[in-house]
Amino acid sequence: MLDSVLINTPILASIAITLTTVATYQLSAKLQQKWQSIWLNPMLLTIILLVPLLLFLDITYQQYSQATYFLNLMLEPAIVALGFPLYQQLRQIKFHWREIMSILALGIIVVISVSFIMAMIFIKAPEIAIALALKSVTTPIGITLTEQLSGDSSITTFAILLAGLFGGLLGPAWLSFIGVNSAKAQGLAIGSASHAIGTAVLVRVSAEHGAYSSVALILSALLTALISPWLVPLLQQLFN
Amino acid sequence: MKNVLYTLFAISISLLLGKLVNYLLSGLPASLYGMVIYAVFLQLNWFSPHKVSVTNQWLIRNMGVCFVPAGVGVINHFQLIQQHGIALITIIFSSTFLLLTVIGCLSERFLITPVPDDDSTSAGENNA
Repeated sequence: MLDSVLINTPILASIAITLTTVATYQLSAKLQQKWQSIWLNPMLLTIILLVPLLLFLDITYQQYSQATYFLNLMLEPAIVALGFPLYQQLRQIKFHWREIMSILALGIIVVISVSFIMAMIFIKAPEIAIALALKSVTTPIGITLTEQLSGDSSITTFAILLAGLFGGLLGPAWLSFIGVNSAKAQGLAIGSASHAIGTAVLVRVSAEHGAYSSVALILSALLTALISPWLVPLLQQLFN
Repeated sequence: MKNVLYTLFAISISLLLGKLVNYLLSGLPASLYGMVIYAVFLQLNWFSPHKVSVTNQWLIRNMGVCFVPAGVGVINHFQLIQQHGIALITIIFSSTFLLLTVIGCLSERFLITPVPDDDSTSAGENNA
């Protein structure tokens, strides 16, 4: 029956599926507000709730992604909206933007290479290796870049979520343990490794932490977009 | 309501210009050009930061819902997770901590010079 609804009234089905997704997300966001736990990440929770629902209703991923095409369209404006925090932080970067850019670029080259090579050795699938190599950026940009390089963007999305949770939960303690204590260094490290989730954690530590974390989040997105189109094909050649 | 429309208008203009730049130069994705253009226009006060602030913050807080469809794609990967779940998690975990370490140590070492504090009032103006 559901199949015939999907085929005969695609617009109604699309609206219903999109609304279900948005409502589940809103509910998850409310839960996180109430309990303030990093694990109640609304995106993660929504995915965990929707996957069984789709399996139960026999909706394939292809049908789901066609039905939620509107949400996918919002990816581009969402990236543009990040220009506002970038504008807000321009003053923070002004005085040492060269150092910040060089450090972030170096980190990105290392992390892309290491993730790609490890994935090629252990999993041996290029589309997975590309997805894992691009996991240290904010989600919309990770998805966009992965699709550009024909990697698998659903793996990127999950890897980005996990990187965010690992770094957000354990990052501050790890950095103190290795003797990295300044707000700038902690902010830049967590912003580039754990993007929005890490930034949300750091904002509560201090305003300077949060500012540097969002600087790193946005600049590493830009740098990854500049670096990955030549670095990833270069790495691919290693395994041909 | 007026500010909501203003923000959507400002973002759309930036995105359209981003598409134009992408068409002319290629290189970065159009949306990233759009992001930089948006930041520059805000800095130049061609778009009013004051007017976009509330709507923009709301957009960023809620943008996660747009990534759900990509994440749900994991539904196609149960076999991969069964086969390579541990390898996947190990790679994500170790490369994330490597990145934290590299950037943390380099920043701690090379960013010791404090930002010359021109004075705190200008910070207030910039954030207004």
